[in-house]
Amino acid sequence: MSAATETLYAQRLERYVTAMRNGKPDRVPIRPFVAELTAKYAGYTIQEVTQDYQKAFAAARKCAADFDWDAVVGNMVYGWAGLVQAIGLKYYASPGVELPPDTPFQYLEPPEDQAWMQPDDYDALAADPTGYLLNVWLPRVSTDVSPTGQPTSMRNNLSFLKGGMAMLQYFQGFGTQAARLRSESGTVSAICGILKAPLDILADKLRGYKGLCADLFRRPEKVLAACEALAPHLLEVAASGADPEKNVPIGLWMHRGCVPFLSPPQFEKFYWPTLRWIVEGLWARGHQTLFYAEGDWTASLRYFAELPERSIVFHVDRSDPLAAHRTLGDKFCISGGVPNDLLAFGTPEEVRACCKRLLDGVAREGGYIMDASAIMQDDTKIENLRAMTDFTREYGVY
Amino acid sequence: MTAEPPTRRPPGVCIPWEEKRREMPAIRGDERLVEQVWKDVDALGYMYIWQILLSF
Repeated sequence: MSAATETLYAQRLERYVTAMRNGKPDRVPIRPFVAELTAKYAGYTIQEVTQDYQKAFAAARKCAADFDWDAVVGNMVYGWAGLVQAIGLKYYASPGVELPPDTPFQYLEPPEDQAWMQPDDYDALAADPTGYLLNVWLPRVSTDVSPTGQPTSMRNNLSFLKGGMAMLQYFQGFGTQAARLRSESGTVSAICGILKAPLDILADKLRGYKGLCADLFRRPEKVLAACEALAPHLLEVAASGADPEKNVPIGLWMHRGCVPFLSPPQFEKFYWPTLRWIVEGLWARGHQTLFYAEGDWTASLRYFAELPERSIVFHVDRSDPLAAHRTLGDKFCISGGVPNDLLAFGTPEEVRACCKRLLDGVAREGGYIMDASAIMQDDTKIENLRAMTDFTREYGVY
Repeated sequence: MTAEPPTRRPPGVCIPWEEKRREMPAIRGDERLVEQVWKDVDALGYMYIWQILLSF
């Protein structure tokens, strides 16, 4: 790596970390969460970046270098299809297989009566979450894994062999990717590690959203017990994958804990207590959490405000950025807030005006990171992303 | 939530060392080394299943 690139990397890391700790760096950092957009920009199909992660890595590096961003995620195209195929996961629809080659992957949620976790399973999950996942859940979500107690098969054996080797290879690829981003363009890897709220995991991968909603009324104590049983494991997984240097945050992907998916009382009772316990546990170990708050979380902001100062970065999707700043800005960094529909259908002039409102209203005293509201898929216009980037670099100087 | 609820398999563990140790003959060398390596590799299995749940 050249000395100039290393200096650039150090400047960007300092800028990014200062903002995340709610301080005022030399200028507003730019850290776009770009997913399938990278394929569009680099000349790949969405199938290519979803199935061939080396192409996804290459596309991310090209965007980072060409746009000169401060920080990016090594690969924001979530869920590598190679591992999905190796294990035979049933809850994915992949581009180029079940979907057209230029359609982003989709999660599939089965009908309530075929949920991966049945209502009667709550006690088993709460008693032994890891055992439940291995013995009950994995055989149900995989085409190849044999149910416990039934005859094994070559497909069963291969799913673990191929799945384990492939996962290791993929995760090791992120280390190489981080090093290449650093040495080739001086770009910081934006996050490290993964976290989801216990209730989101119950909805996303176990009971399904509809089933979980029914459970909140029919068996609320079982839901709470399951959340409490999952929490220590989610904390462990998040901490084990976190940045050992404690610079960049753990990504928390918040899906369906906000209005209208949950009412505020349901959020307070079911979603927040265990999530708060995890986030505070991570902060006690020195790790920040990035709340990637999909949807409108305005009704929940006052709860987040109770967290320890600087323990989180709050990413604005459909929440009101100014309301988020008013409620959280004294303690936490805010990121995002440029609507994705504006980036998809607006003009560069409209994007610049939006960025100006954000920089004037939220970033005045530091503690702000420029980004779109949600992960950018292939509908973002390149000229609008360029406008967001260039305007912030010019106007976002302190 | 103030304390970790009890589970048969604590976080980071698929098959506890104590369970595995009962299956093994007398260990003639450094038992602590055997235990540590068992735990390190067992943790990979734990990572595998929880990462499928969370990341894929």
